[in-house]
Amino acid sequence: MDMKITTNHIGFSPGKNRYLHIGVIIFSLFLFFGPAETQAFNSFEDMQQTISGRVTDQNGLPLPAVNIYVKGTSIGTQTDFDGNYSLDAAPGQTLIYSFIGYATLEIVVGDQEELDVVLVEDASKLDEVIVMGYTTQTRADVTGSVSSVDVSEATKAPIVNAAEALQGRVTGVTVMSDGQPGSSPVVRIRGFGTSNNNNPLYIIDGVQTDDPSILNSLNANDIEQMNVLKDGAAAIYGARASNGVVIITTKGGGYNMQGPTVAVDSYYGVARASNLPDLLNAQQHGEMIFQSLRNDGADVTHAQYGNGPNPVVPDMLDVPADVTVPAGGTNWLEEIFRDAPTYSASVSLQNGNEFGKYLMSVNYLKREGIQLETGYQRGTTRLNSEFKIREKLKIGEHINISFSNTRSGNQINNALRSSPLLPARDDNGNYTGTYTAAAGLGNAENPVAVLNRSSDNFNKSFRVFGDVYAALEVLEHFNVKTSISADIQYYNGRFFTALNPNHSEPRSTNTLTEQDAQNYQWVWTNTVNYGNNFGEHSINAVAGIEALSQSGKGKGFSRNGYLFEDPDFYLLSNGSGAPIVSYAYDGTSTLYSVFGTANYNYFGKYYLTATVRRDKSSRFLGENQSDVFPSFSAGWVISEENFFPKDGYVNRLKLKASWGALGNQTLPADNPTINISNLNNQFANYAFNGGGTATTGAILSQVGNPNLRWETSITKNIGMNLGMFDDRLDATLEFYEITTEDLITRDNSLISTTAIDAQAPLVNLGSIKNTGFDFSLGYQNRTTSEFTYGANLNISHYKNEVTELISEFQTGNTGFRGGAITRTSVGQPLSYFYGKEVLGIFTSEAEVSAAADQGFATPADGVGRFQYADVDNNGVINDDDRTNIGNPHPDFTYGLNLTAGYKGFDVSAFFQGSQGNDIYNYQKVFTDFPLFFDGNRSTRVLDSYSVDNPNATLPGLSATIRNSETNPNSYFVEDGSYLRLKNLQIGYNFAETVVERLMVQDLRIYVQGTNLFTITGYDGLDPEIGSFDSLTLGVDGNVAGGGLYQAYPVSRIFTLGVNIKI
Amino acid sequence: MKKIIYYILPFFALIACTEDFTNTPAVGALSDQALQNEQGVDLLLTGAYSALDGIVNNNGGNGFAVSPDNWWFDVLSDDAHKGSTDGDQQELFLMETYAFTPSNPYILGKWEALYGGVNRANAVISVIEGIEDRDFTEKLAEARFLRGYFNFELQKIYGNPAFISAENYANTEFNQPNPGPIWTEIEADQQFAVENLPETQPEPGRPTSWTAKAFLGKTYLFQKKWAEAFAILQDVINNGPYGLNEEFVANFTAGGENSQESVFAIQFAADDGLSFNGNVGSTLNFPNALGWCCGFYVPTQDLVDAFQTGPDGLPLLDNYSNNHVESDYGIASDEPFTPETGPLDPRLDYTVGRRGIEYNGYGINPGSEWVRNTPADISGSYLPKKNVYHAGEEVNMGTADWGQQSPGINYNVMRFSDVLLMAAEAAVELEDLDTALGYVNMIRNRAKNMTYVQAEDGSPAANYIIEPYDSFSSPEMALKAVRFEKRLELAMEGHRYFDLGRWDIAVPVLTDYVNNETETIPNFGPKTSPFQQYMTIMPIPTTAIDLSGGILTQNPGY
Repeated sequence: MDMKITTNHIGFSPGKNRYLHIGVIIFSLFLFFGPAETQAFNSFEDMQQTISGRVTDQNGLPLPAVNIYVKGTSIGTQTDFDGNYSLDAAPGQTLIYSFIGYATLEIVVGDQEELDVVLVEDASKLDEVIVMGYTTQTRADVTGSVSSVDVSEATKAPIVNAAEALQGRVTGVTVMSDGQPGSSPVVRIRGFGTSNNNNPLYIIDGVQTDDPSILNSLNANDIEQMNVLKDGAAAIYGARASNGVVIITTKGGGYNMQGPTVAVDSYYGVARASNLPDLLNAQQHGEMIFQSLRNDGADVTHAQYGNGPNPVVPDMLDVPADVTVPAGGTNWLEEIFRDAPTYSASVSLQNGNEFGKYLMSVNYLKREGIQLETGYQRGTTRLNSEFKIREKLKIGEHINISFSNTRSGNQINNALRSSPLLPARDDNGNYTGTYTAAAGLGNAENPVAVLNRSSDNFNKSFRVFGDVYAALEVLEHFNVKTSISADIQYYNGRFFTALNPNHSEPRSTNTLTEQDAQNYQWVWTNTVNYGNNFGEHSINAVAGIEALSQSGKGKGFSRNGYLFEDPDFYLLSNGSGAPIVSYAYDGTSTLYSVFGTANYNYFGKYYLTATVRRDKSSRFLGENQSDVFPSFSAGWVISEENFFPKDGYVNRLKLKASWGALGNQTLPADNPTINISNLNNQFANYAFNGGGTATTGAILSQVGNPNLRWETSITKNIGMNLGMFDDRLDATLEFYEITTEDLITRDNSLISTTAIDAQAPLVNLGSIKNTGFDFSLGYQNRTTSEFTYGANLNISHYKNEVTELISEFQTGNTGFRGGAITRTSVGQPLSYFYGKEVLGIFTSEAEVSAAADQGFATPADGVGRFQYADVDNNGVINDDDRTNIGNPHPDFTYGLNLTAGYKGFDVSAFFQGSQGNDIYNYQKVFTDFPLFFDGNRSTRVLDSYSVDNPNATLPGLSATIRNSETNPNSYFVEDGSYLRLKNLQIGYNFAETVVERLMVQDLRIYVQGTNLFTITGYDGLDPEIGSFDSLTLGVDGNVAGGGLYQAYPVSRIFTLGVNIKI
Repeated sequence: MKKIIYYILPFFALIACTEDFTNTPAVGALSDQALQNEQGVDLLLTGAYSALDGIVNNNGGNGFAVSPDNWWFDVLSDDAHKGSTDGDQQELFLMETYAFTPSNPYILGKWEALYGGVNRANAVISVIEGIEDRDFTEKLAEARFLRGYFNFELQKIYGNPAFISAENYANTEFNQPNPGPIWTEIEADQQFAVENLPETQPEPGRPTSWTAKAFLGKTYLFQKKWAEAFAILQDVINNGPYGLNEEFVANFTAGGENSQESVFAIQFAADDGLSFNGNVGSTLNFPNALGWCCGFYVPTQDLVDAFQTGPDGLPLLDNYSNNHVESDYGIASDEPFTPETGPLDPRLDYTVGRRGIEYNGYGINPGSEWVRNTPADISGSYLPKKNVYHAGEEVNMGTADWGQQSPGINYNVMRFSDVLLMAAEAAVELEDLDTALGYVNMIRNRAKNMTYVQAEDGSPAANYIIEPYDSFSSPEMALKAVRFEKRLELAMEGHRYFDLGRWDIAVPVLTDYVNNETETIPNFGPKTSPFQQYMTIMPIPTTAIDLSGGILTQNPGY
């Protein structure tokens, strides 16, 4: 391999060191370059001749700014705007022509004086220039751990959020996506390095944010590159980088294009739910109820099923309405799900001449939700442009405008526990309800009614983000760049809670709630870039200063008492109750940073990179406000060494290693160091006269921690890249260790249940270590035959261990029925499941008597119940017998992409999966146990204990929960492994003859299926589940109190699409 | 070279702005310093009072468990059933049937609400300690009264709560051990309140020194310090500003709020928005009728039976459960039913909603139509009355955040009749039967002379007969009479379970109750586990022990 040019701002000619001292004054990093001396190879000097020529592309268009230099020397030049160049070289010397995006060409100088050269667009990944933040590098030069998404493959699937493109496509990245259209997937890079905010930092062109929702505003078709920095390479982002950095660059047109090109991409498809659980039909439901009452020794009678020896499914319900029972009963899951259309259309236009280039795109996307009345639609437009002003100044911008509306809703829980006797509507077309408690229909609200009644609710978001920049070549080798980016979001939500007259717990009033929020962020970045070449030494360095400010302001209002339930009437001013300010906030945080990075390489064999960044954050106090984050990395291309066999199968072998310190200062609070009290009409006011106007009070709402400091992660990475069979086979293996210290999280043990009712302070909780490896293997057939194929496999593994904690253990979210399900303690992975171990089901009184005392009144009461392990061996089962019952972290995750093509046809299949992780299936509390007796249950309850079925999986049926069986225990822990065919696409490119007749360049149509099948032993709706918080991982279910997380299953989508290029 | 300077200048401009740039204010927040003054003390003190309604921030337990009226402890006692269907709020069903575990969210909800109150009071005490140049003694006394109130509740319910001091609060050291009762700390707070509160307050919601005395008396009573209890309660009776209302029912109506009978009341209020100052914890405790929800907190047959009187107008102390008052349990509203014709204490129909009797101004109670359970459930056929607002009392009709009731009826933590009965109890224990007789008869005479619930024709709705006692024949009989009177007078007001516990009679009384109740509600017995002595104090919540890192220890038996 030859030396590569690392950015397109760099010129090539002997260094002029006199300017270096300016850099030294500003940035100490520039000291690195001080000793560098020009080395010339003198032996050819006397034979030199002037060579001139023109460099063009395959189409004969001139290529400006191509770097040309004499191999082994520091002599070099660049082509002008017409592609012309001239330089001095001697016969026998080698000229190297390099230009980003084109294959580097080496030509040995003969005796000719004119040398015209054609550069071919580069197919090699190694020469691909990847954007590393403030710098760019070719892939071959990278010494850090950087993964890139094959964007063209990844965006084949009908994705809404660009983060979905990461799933299974890059090593070391875990993506858990919720099926709710418009929701943001959870992205984790190399395990859970932190217990606080695990979101990676996203850089979209110049915009920086850790708000994953920004990816909802981005048209995936606009993405040119998506790179993930996983180790010390991210250190250039300092205190924001410890969760990794995802860098997205968008397409921008090209200089010197022949004319505008227009691309049209569109698809239409249908999404439907898959993998729905089986629920009892009406007869089974009745039998379940009767058997439960029988087991309890209670009177076997039911308002609808009668009081005979067997339950009788009535034809009409005994309720104050005309309700015919559907044959076999209602499957409520089928009632709330539907076939939902999904549609997207994108048009992009790009062009460029020698003075400017641009891209413009528009996209409209509509993804109806598979649950009634839910959905997402979005329109985006983008304009990227850049202008060259004179020769040395470039000015450009990226701007992305999006408008979206999310209609959210999830009624799975109500659907699971609605009685199968009830249809969605009564005989007169009105929504049914559970009417009265005496009707024996449970108290689940009609989920179809809830979804339909919320159809006029919306979450509208208008977002503009982008940047403007100017880059100037001040002197040879010196470029300065200034850029200002902004991300402005306006959110507006409306929610109307209508009356629900047939519900057995009817609302007495209807309520309109309106919410709005404005978020602003700006970043101003100034960088100086120096790049030069001294013989076989190549240096590229960037130094900069950056200021960032983000602020958010919002409020929520609600009002009761609307006379008309008509969306045309939904204004706050039309309510009749007193208006209520639910919340209001206004916060700002800022970050100020100085940074520098330098890349050095010698002879294309040895690489060194050093990076340092100092950050100062408004979130902390005093000395804790600022810190320095250094990183170093090195690479050695062994295959370039003389001793390396040139004729073996291995054509490229590179070793690399890195060390870096990274930070995390993203907190759910802007001023976490101080105690904050608030006036609060809900919690703090008191009516001293028993009525009238309440007196205003204040309460402590946040406990501050003045000693709070940011988290620091030390990452170590070693790896190798291997190219075999002329790079047709490409393998990467990296091992890493990430030690995160001063983990930040809310200390719920400090503000425990005996404390003031304020939010717990954020504290530096302890340390965590992630060790793991990332492996990827790709094979591409490059023969010119008409059949092509390729495969890409990646496997990621991490092991997560808490190494230090300020308290003995930390408890996860306590809002579940029966208390916390997860616990975190030293020597264990973050957030393991904690509960009782179910040994089996007691089948005889003798077994009950022989086992530890579970508190049964008589041994007979214990027969058919769960037997718990007596962990502390004291003969009594109580809370002290809880133990580690499962691990939510996978052994490994993987992705496999297969592609093949023959003539005009192309096929690609993408599999993705996770192995060895446990899931706590909290939904089973509702589906397998009588939490709501008259509600429906999973068909799993058909395998409940009875004398005739002693080897059952579930304990004996009962009208009530017995033996604390819904409290955290191992019954709910399941293997969450899965393999999913995420996407399968078959496309056809029309032949040129057809295409020409249609006056287009390219025409391709395709059909595809998304989430076609999933192989899993998991009983829940979907093994891909999000996390409630970082101390509560792997729990699938509805969290009572303090928020709601509930799986919305991913949908199976069939789409038909077309790609046209004009 | 000069050109370079131009390009470098923006960098220096950025450097120059950094100091201010990285200091961002907390908009809308009150810092600790901002509260170090009179206004701050007032704001925080109001915040402490606000915790009286049980609604505090970040409560991880059950939201209905928090009400200061302790309604669900009546469900544990022989006075009330949970109501609704068995599966509705199943955690409370498990409490009622004595099948609960320490992780039951009712146990956690109440615990967190009370500690929220304790520490809001600590916040006031702490801020006052930090202000040197002003005298805040009265405010401090109010704060300590409140802390004493919350700690008394914790002591009464959990037996061995942790005491969190103002110093603990200031040092953020909330995980304190719970080695035993905290009566000493409660008495100290109440003593301070007695000595430093004024005799009158401009606002009825604030305690006076008389309020504090009555509460200190109750604290003595719970510790069986009979002489101290009697002395201070008698002082309140003889010299305090309190008296019995003419009408028993006035204690539960809008018009009777903060009357002379109210020693200390939680000041609930309703408004037409979201009634944050309503009794959100008792949202469920309305009949299943008239657009209300959810049929919880219903009186037991056993309680109704206790209101039977003999021909002499006296309660059937020893054999009230031999005969059941006519019940419409299992009888549909469209089937015929004749209410009880035997003699009854007239307070029954201000306490219990029975079929055929006028219901709080909403007309005649039609029976099962208004009841929210099925024959398979264990909650019987009665309705609560004291906590349900009366027709036309719009001022008390608030709305909770899910569109249900947030009643604005004040809850009397202590009524003067309670003071009389506590004093009577202490007097009996001190063998002063005459004084006890006098106090009990004051209460019975008020009941005798009040307006009775009327039938549609204006006549008494039932065969009401009530008379004062002539005498107490023995200390044993006197004790029985006083305790029985307390059940009748204060039924459905959240006291019964704790009285049974401190009288050490919970096991026999509740065992008899389950048997008695099963005679009319056959499913009740089979679904109920035996009541055990250790259940008279609640367990320390599992989550509390978990979050304390094991510093809290579990009560015996759990």
